[in-house]
Amino acid sequence: MPLKIEGSKIVHFILVLSTYCFLYLPLIVLVVFSFNAERFPSPWTGFSWRWYEELFQSKYLWQAFMNSLLVAAFSTLISLLLGVFLIFYVAQGKKIKNFLFLYYGNLVVPETVLAVALLGFFTLTYIPLGLTTLVLAHTILGLGFVIPITYSRYSELDTKMTEASLVLGATPKQTFFKVTLPLLRPSLIATGLLIFIISFDDFILSYFCAGSSAQTLSLYILSMLRTGVSPVVNALSAVLLVLSSLLALVFFSIKTRVRIL
Amino acid sequence: MKFTSKKSSEFPFIVGIPAILWQILLFYLPLVLIVGTSFIAISDSGSLEGFTFEKIGVFLNPTYIRVILSSVLLGLANATICFCIAYPLAYFMAFRAHKFKNLLLFLLLIPFWTNFLLHVYAWFFVLERNGFLNNLLKTLGLIQDSIPFMNSLFATMIMMVYYYLPFMVLPIYSSLEKFDYKLIEASLDLGAGRFKTLRRIILPLSLGGIRAGFFLVYIPSFGEFAIPELMGGDKQMFVGSVVARYILGDQTGSLGAAFTVLSSVILCVSSILLYFVLNLIFKRRGSHAVKN
Repeated sequence: MPLKIEGSKIVHFILVLSTYCFLYLPLIVLVVFSFNAERFPSPWTGFSWRWYEELFQSKYLWQAFMNSLLVAAFSTLISLLLGVFLIFYVAQGKKIKNFLFLYYGNLVVPETVLAVALLGFFTLTYIPLGLTTLVLAHTILGLGFVIPITYSRYSELDTKMTEASLVLGATPKQTFFKVTLPLLRPSLIATGLLIFIISFDDFILSYFCAGSSAQTLSLYILSMLRTGVSPVVNALSAVLLVLSSLLALVFFSIKTRVRIL
Repeated sequence: MKFTSKKSSEFPFIVGIPAILWQILLFYLPLVLIVGTSFIAISDSGSLEGFTFEKIGVFLNPTYIRVILSSVLLGLANATICFCIAYPLAYFMAFRAHKFKNLLLFLLLIPFWTNFLLHVYAWFFVLERNGFLNNLLKTLGLIQDSIPFMNSLFATMIMMVYYYLPFMVLPIYSSLEKFDYKLIEASLDLGAGRFKTLRRIILPLSLGGIRAGFFLVYIPSFGEFAIPELMGGDKQMFVGSVVARYILGDQTGSLGAAFTVLSSVILCVSSILLYFVLNLIFKRRGSHAVKN
């Protein structure tokens, strides 16, 4: 009997291991071949930085990278500001709680539907498509994260702290900036990172709402994908994997319970 | 004191309102607009001509109904496969990984935090005609000619499962993590087998996470258009591709809106059905369930 349980544990372990192999093998193969001296169909011929050099010389890539960075930074900033302001309003004891349900739809509506709706809206209001419309679109995703998460953190806060601050003579505004906001800071930073990475990696909204002139990283990769396998894309993948692992590491080291999903 | 509180109660109103206006203007208004455009007839000169079902009617034929149905099936298949892979993984992380728990979570999230087109590219690289897998099989002498893995439902499914797996694992994991392990021990001590414990105790009590996972996978994969387009070629059409083609096409925007609305209705109805089906499958039936 004990042997049988051990057996099932081993099967379970192998199952988990193969899931991780499924997740990582394609990425490992990809990264390994970004260092190959020759183009792909040829087998391993030797180590080289050649494709990385080619990658970093690509002007379009940097343009696209900067655009994505800019869009992600602005949409994160705007979402966080709007979110914090709303929570500030709630913190004054306003009965705004009833409005919070407004934001639960943002992440439920499929992104394709949201993109179609926003594209229609921008066309109708003659707002020219570009990076601005992309930022506007991404803030909707951002608000869908920042408001539920920040509000749930806010309602878990110990009210004794704010009461103490008020009793000791601080104005509500001072209380908010000196007590409430610092207490919310870890969860705000974590949420900010999450919004940043989601905006940075977003593809569907970019595809619809960026127009034809603005190139983001996702759209750039898409155009490269269409031209087929190229070791330069392998090199780009390796660089982005390192960047996102670093961001994930920062996210994990923030000691807060932000539920991603 | 009275003065300051009065003053601050005026100030926050201006501060709280932008987030609400923003949300209404950029989320609810556009959604109302596409519903509107799919039912309003506009003449060539641009004047309103009233209410119409014509645009929706265009799509009520076997071709488009098949597209919608295959999207439903794609979403359900994806969610089910993800569930079958995710549940053992989440269970392992919650109860058996101990100090490796965080490492496993971290490793699960790195792909999730990387641009998803790069994952598409990774699989492209592996599955292509001259790709890694074909080369490997040839070198090993298992096959003579390349197998066309790409542009098939198989490639689409692999990519869908690969991308959506974390969306299923995380909610299940967080519902299992809160789970009291003593309940499992008690069930085993009282003579229920491992399978019965799973069926009657663990699955019903993690229903919340299972449900969240199913919706998080089903809803976006219903509308997914990049993966079928890039991995599946043009053999099989799904809702997302049709929407993209109409919306980005010339002069067909309002038809695209109509199709989006129609598919959203189907999505809502199928999601509600899914909710009940999941309850039926996973909920504990009757309090005498653990008898015998």
